[in-house]
Amino acid sequence: MHLEEGTELTRVDAAVIEELFRRFHSFKGISAIVGLQEAESLAHATEDVLRGLKQGKIEVNQKLVDLLMSSTQFLEQSVLAFRAQKPQSNPGPLIKDLSALDASASTSHSAGKSVSKRRKADFEQVASVPREDIGLLKWKCTFIPSKVLDEKGINVTSVREKLSAIGEIVKATPQVRGEGLVAFEFILVTKETPSDVADWEASGIVTELMDQPRPDQAVSGSSAPSVAYEIEQNPFIAPSHVIRVDLKRLDELMRIVGEMVIQKSRSDQVLTLASRGRGTVEVSVLKESNLVLTRNLRDLRQALMKVRLVPVAEIFARMPFVTRDLSRETNKKARLVLRGQQTEIDKYLIEKLKEPLLHLVRNAFAHGIENPRERIKAGKPEEATIELKASTIGDSVIIQIRDDGRGINREAVTKKARALGVFVPEVLDNRALLDILCGAGFSTREEADRAAGRGVGMAVVRKTITELGGTIMLETVAGKSTEFTLRMPLTLAIAETIIVSSGGQTCAIPQSFVLEVLRIESSDIRSVNRVDAIPYRDGILPVIRLESIFGLQPEPRKAWFVLVLTCEKGSVGLVAEQIHGQKEVVVRAMQDPLIQVSGVSGATELGDGKPVLILNAAELFNGAVRPPQRIPVEAKKEEEPAL
Amino acid sequence: MNAVGEPHVLFEVAGSTYAIPSKMVKHIDMVEHVTLVPNANPAIDGVVFSRGQVIPALNLRARFGFEREKNSITSRIIFTHFQNRTVGLLADAAREFLSIPAESVRPVEETLTGISGSYLKGVAKIGSRLILLLDMQNVLDLSDLPGVAAPGERAKSTHIKAHISS
Repeated sequence: MHLEEGTELTRVDAAVIEELFRRFHSFKGISAIVGLQEAESLAHATEDVLRGLKQGKIEVNQKLVDLLMSSTQFLEQSVLAFRAQKPQSNPGPLIKDLSALDASASTSHSAGKSVSKRRKADFEQVASVPREDIGLLKWKCTFIPSKVLDEKGINVTSVREKLSAIGEIVKATPQVRGEGLVAFEFILVTKETPSDVADWEASGIVTELMDQPRPDQAVSGSSAPSVAYEIEQNPFIAPSHVIRVDLKRLDELMRIVGEMVIQKSRSDQVLTLASRGRGTVEVSVLKESNLVLTRNLRDLRQALMKVRLVPVAEIFARMPFVTRDLSRETNKKARLVLRGQQTEIDKYLIEKLKEPLLHLVRNAFAHGIENPRERIKAGKPEEATIELKASTIGDSVIIQIRDDGRGINREAVTKKARALGVFVPEVLDNRALLDILCGAGFSTREEADRAAGRGVGMAVVRKTITELGGTIMLETVAGKSTEFTLRMPLTLAIAETIIVSSGGQTCAIPQSFVLEVLRIESSDIRSVNRVDAIPYRDGILPVIRLESIFGLQPEPRKAWFVLVLTCEKGSVGLVAEQIHGQKEVVVRAMQDPLIQVSGVSGATELGDGKPVLILNAAELFNGAVRPPQRIPVEAKKEEEPAL
Repeated sequence: MNAVGEPHVLFEVAGSTYAIPSKMVKHIDMVEHVTLVPNANPAIDGVVFSRGQVIPALNLRARFGFEREKNSITSRIIFTHFQNRTVGLLADAAREFLSIPAESVRPVEETLTGISGSYLKGVAKIGSRLILLLDMQNVLDLSDLPGVAAPGERAKSTHIKAHISS
């Protein structure tokens, strides 16, 4: 039971309302099937409001959107509670407000053509004595789909269309009957008389005039006092261990497995021949077989990886709820713009990214966005814009969170950091600024509120992201904007890596970190400020030796390879003895707490059963990495060569 | 004395015989290659693969505060499953199974609470042999060990004196 709605009703789009209407409608039906009365009646009330909206009888305003959102949230909680087999909370107050909205709309429009009005009239009177000017009757039509009818082209959809053509379907309830039958019960308000309706029975619709109109369920549920709606705060509903997979992707998997089965039986044949000692088995046959299997395996791996990919919409779609809540709490106005929602990323990653993204959005509200008065004063539109954007570049997924708020106040950060005893460089560029913000316990807020300010957030955000092999970057312009850019690997399961070794230790470096590979002489390595560095382009590049990561002493040799790695802090070179080439590897997590160390994102195996560590450049060189420095060439010559 | 008792795996570390219940042991392998892990606890030699999983290799000598020794032909890695974790224990040798009856187990005596005393559940006396029963909980809790050392320094301390140039 899923509920995914674009409840972002800033402008009234008939199609959106129609879609919402349908969603609430089917939700109501589903709730009825599983016996969720609370949810059913709330969905019903919401549906009523949407119908009014659809027909232009209710205006779109903040209250309406709030109510719709609350309603959606309530329904989500219902589903969660149902899943967890917990008691349902009472939707009474919400329903009351919803129906009040509906009722006010129908009374304010006295034209008498409003459906709400019609239905209301219908409820007020005994249906069998219709008022002449309206002349409406209420029918209960029951339709039981069957194979025979289906062959005639009659199914629920056609029945629904037929009924809608002659009147208004007030309520539609699917019911489970015995023997696996499902019946659909429609309550229809129409001008048609019993004789018109009689011939419907041939189409499998059983009609029945309703003598006593039942009071609207929504109204009956509204006896509870109007208090704040009891909606728990749980911004995410989709279960974290479930993936929806496009059938095409599964078909692809099936196809590959099929091919492998065929390949296996070919190998079997060759084996049988060989073991009987009859005939000569050509090595080339085995080689070919192996080649095909290799290809199959690679395809299988890629197809499996694709199965794990989910659109980022899974988290993006939750953000409107978050911003709405924050907007109310902080009294700041913000418009949320979501882009690239179809960008796909590994399911595991998306689960891990939820909290960091939530935090960044909260931060945008707490720190970035000014209150409306300040914004107007600064000549900005009263409503701020928060933009969440996702895109794919090569093997990486880029997620950007941008707000057009006041930017990060460097002076305030510097002052606070110095007060906390944190070293602050003279020139505080974006990178250094991020370092300070991500330091544990840092917060410019005097008091923590719900939105932000506990000072643990950014440290955790960065930790989570680097642990996943990603990077985070900051770009802020005082008075204008703040933008965080997260760069994540597309998937964790498989990585393109470059295999290097030194001193008998072999490592894999994710290719996404590698800018280029250089060949250098020992004499190129110089010591600058006690850090090894090599001349690089028109400046110098700090380098670290692979051996020293493992605490081994480098053996003297003439030529070395340098992998130029980029990480959020800049570039760094990794000096290695040998490069064994590029390889796609299966990443194994290092789960045990004893080996959860910084700088290592996992391990893999290159066919000999020995674990090979996958190094996370960004974390590993934390100490050694410096932003690229532009030092005049003369200055370098004064330094002693390191080797 | 009925000698049914619980089956244990016996292994040697620095001249003493230790035991853990067989039900905790997944399998025992010869030590072939241990991949060094930077920034890990000093008692961790590195990681090994076991059935597709990356498993930490905990050096019991280092854990108990003895000098490390080069892995020999008798060295074994004992893959233990404990509280949903799998950890490989590096021991000097492992070649015996023994049923240890509960009544032969004594609490750890004062005189024994020396170098490895706090990692023991008890001491079993079988005939003339003393067998030390490991307390896995304490063995895997490395919080009492000092911080991080360079991995090469620990694993190869007998061959290479590592130094980090400054």
